[in-house]
Amino acid sequence: MLSLFVLLPFLAIVMLNLPLKTVTRQLALWFGIALSAGQVFVVIFQPDVFWNGTDLLGRFFTLRLQADNLSMVMLLSIGIVTFAAILVGRQTIADSRLRFNFMNLVLLSLIGMNGTVLLTDLFSLYIFIEVVAISSFILIAFQRDLNALEGAFKYIILSAVATVLMLLSVSVLLMAAGDTSFSSVAAAVKNSSSSHFVRFAIGIFICGLFIKGGLVPFHGWLPAAYSMAPAAVSVLLAGIVTKVSGIYALIRLSTSVFGPDSSLNAVLMIAGAVSIVIGALAATGQSDFKRMLAYSSISQVGYIILALGCGTKLALVGAVFHLFNHSIFKSLLFVNSAAVEQQTGTSDMDKMGGLGSRMPYTNATSLIAFLSTAGVPPLAGFWSKLIIVIALWQSGYYIYAFIAILSSIITLGYLLSMQRRVFFGILSDKLQAVREAGFGIVFPACVLAAITVGVGLSFPFIFNSFIIPIGAFLK
Amino acid sequence: MTNDMAVVLWLFGVAAALVLIVGFYCLIATVNLIRALIGLEILTKAVTLFIILAGYVTGRTGLAQALAITLIIIEVVVVVVAVGVVLCVFSHNKSVDVRMIRNVKG
Repeated sequence: MLSLFVLLPFLAIVMLNLPLKTVTRQLALWFGIALSAGQVFVVIFQPDVFWNGTDLLGRFFTLRLQADNLSMVMLLSIGIVTFAAILVGRQTIADSRLRFNFMNLVLLSLIGMNGTVLLTDLFSLYIFIEVVAISSFILIAFQRDLNALEGAFKYIILSAVATVLMLLSVSVLLMAAGDTSFSSVAAAVKNSSSSHFVRFAIGIFICGLFIKGGLVPFHGWLPAAYSMAPAAVSVLLAGIVTKVSGIYALIRLSTSVFGPDSSLNAVLMIAGAVSIVIGALAATGQSDFKRMLAYSSISQVGYIILALGCGTKLALVGAVFHLFNHSIFKSLLFVNSAAVEQQTGTSDMDKMGGLGSRMPYTNATSLIAFLSTAGVPPLAGFWSKLIIVIALWQSGYYIYAFIAILSSIITLGYLLSMQRRVFFGILSDKLQAVREAGFGIVFPACVLAAITVGVGLSFPFIFNSFIIPIGAFLK
Repeated sequence: MTNDMAVVLWLFGVAAALVLIVGFYCLIATVNLIRALIGLEILTKAVTLFIILAGYVTGRTGLAQALAITLIIIEVVVVVVAVGVVLCVFSHNKSVDVRMIRNVKG
């Protein structure tokens, strides 16, 4: 019953907007929590009725949905991050009407993300990526603050250029294949791999996805959008939206539709390595909490793309595992930034200091998240980076492996400076009144931190049974 | 396919490519937010022409029509959201000049 992943959020939106607003406004939060938690539940416990039951509703639609291991990992991270974002939104958005709009938009985004990771057709991929993009445009701009509007407008323009590139490529591939489903496009690409038109089409499609995923040199929109968006929206955007619409699509297309292809892989590796280095170097110079995290996000996404370009099975497992870990620890860092921003009213790190004594939970979870990001054992981020570096070494890419390790040290450097400027040190007089953030922020932060620590500590036990089988999506 | 037909299709393709270039030029050259959106619309129209061309060449005009109509619907939604953002910018700044909203560094 895969179509439920798309249909249930849709039905929820319809029900919430029936003309009974006084009742539905209370329900919106619970619908969001139930849907995201239910999604996590069906992925983890794999109830047979759900995955293998006949899809009666799905017969009315021509979308052919399909869930393999890669989609499972993505569905899991979508569920977790959406859950966290909804709780943070409940805490940080004071106005009940705005909060209701936020819930609706998150559900819309959930439809788009679930659709993107399940479908098997290039044109439907475009449709669902666009659904995600539209909901995030509104989410970024929805408090109507001028800087947020600027971030949203940048995102709209660059994302529209990306969709134009992708559609141009779809039209060329349609000419070559006569259809837009993944299988027929893959067959057509294989048959006419020397055709300049097809290579051009693949190139611009990948360019479009680079823009969507915010990779260097197309990252211009990303820091503006992440840092200017409302706190809960940054959690959703940084945690999962760009990962689904850009990075998941890149993984899916480069492994089973356009490739495996050596020149494509070389391009991916260069883009990945450049993103790692530029993102990390740019992050070191930032004084705004969320901007630093945004650049850090670019750098971490670079690791995923670098491993994707390496192309061996181990590297792809590492890429998907790092994608999962990244969506957990980056959304955790953004939850922490939401807590700090709500309590101090600023996101400028130079105005903070010593908050650790006042916000013990935020301090501790932020410590876990940044150690995991920097790749310190035994947290989850360490293992995924280790897999990536080992895979690069095995394939003989010594220089790339060296870049990956070196940038990890830079990551440790700038995140340590973040932690020191925000949480350690002496509390200034202005911040004496700061208290720990509310339950809606502390609870998701603790859950996400527990996942990071839990996955890291149980890694030896889950390596063979859960992590290696992720690679089964390779043909 | 007859020779004349091929010439017509090539001309169609070249015309669509010209529309694409006009759209990109419009997007790059302008400092007006509304004109940037018009540029986006021109770009999408060019892509729609390409999809129709692809449907005609492969003989799957039904599929191409479905794709073109879906594309038009989605593009309308994107432009409506974008115009909403521009309206908000206008109510803040009383101007739709892109140079007025460059507060945030790249």
